[in-house]
Amino acid sequence: MNLATFTLLIPAVVLFAYAWRRGDGSHRRGLASGGRTLLSILPLLLLAFTTIGYVSVLLPQEGLQDLMGPDSGWRGLLRAQGMGMLMPGGPYVVLPLISTLYQLGTGLGATITLVTSWSSLSLLNALWEAHFIGWRFTLIRWTLLLPFPLLVGLLAETWFGGTS
Amino acid sequence: MRDFTTLILGGVVLLLAGAAWRSGGWELVLAGAVGGVKTLLMVAPLLLCAFLIAGLIQVLLTQEKVAYWLGEGSGWRGILLACISGALIPGGPYVYYPIAAALIRAGASLGVLVAFVSAKSVWPLVRLPLEFALLGPRLTVARLLTTFLIPPLLAFLAQALAGRQIEAIRENLK
Repeated sequence: MNLATFTLLIPAVVLFAYAWRRGDGSHRRGLASGGRTLLSILPLLLLAFTTIGYVSVLLPQEGLQDLMGPDSGWRGLLRAQGMGMLMPGGPYVVLPLISTLYQLGTGLGATITLVTSWSSLSLLNALWEAHFIGWRFTLIRWTLLLPFPLLVGLLAETWFGGTS
Repeated sequence: MRDFTTLILGGVVLLLAGAAWRSGGWELVLAGAVGGVKTLLMVAPLLLCAFLIAGLIQVLLTQEKVAYWLGEGSGWRGILLACISGALIPGGPYVYYPIAAALIRAGASLGVLVAFVSAKSVWPLVRLPLEFALLGPRLTVARLLTTFLIPPLLAFLAQALAGRQIEAIRENLK
């Protein structure tokens, strides 16, 4: 069992115990409600994970570092932001990939832009968000966040500068 | 909306499978699909817990409770609490978006929602050890320092500029 599963198991058990102790059947209703949601998005889950599988076998890793090195300036940051948005998958897929790019020579600022852009503006993520909450919310959050990965990269390059 | 999303993702999968076939034949098509399913199986326990939590929250949280803790009236305190909850909640988008949707149904404000989702993306407690291990302390600390203010800042911006949109967003969830 990994750390994430363990961390998630605790609130699940605590909530379930609390619901059960209330003695009004809310533990059963909670279980049913969670199960229904899971079943209804199962096809979507399968598709999403297949996408992750394909991108991780297809993404070209060589040559990318030239475009986002420490001397690539704001253009490099812009490329990093664009690439971050296109990166699908969770941290177990994306962070090893970003770490490879960093070791190959991507600048500190660009790497931070990449992480921030992937974690907050990822298009696959936006699809999930639109699916669960609606396009209106996604549009508001996405628009407000848009300048931030670039700004954060610039800030990091200025404060912590250079390569390691 | 669900069918639309499924359709888009289905199209993406077909395109990617085509690209895999062109560059590596059926072997790569299979490798991609198997890799994806393996990842899914890896996170399956996480998924089960997450959906259990989402279901229980939906049943246990009453509108009044959320309005008190994470609602419009509680202002910066609600936003701060949402930032902390977002940082603490583990799992992928299929975990925290159902929870976010449950929060909206129970009466949370737009600022609170934005705080929750943004904190999840830039201050994620569960992802930090992995980030630290893979990218090193210098980069991790630099990233945390430079992104530290994003969740609350974005929450206040969203609340001030588009706060009233929450009614339409909530309506759409029904």
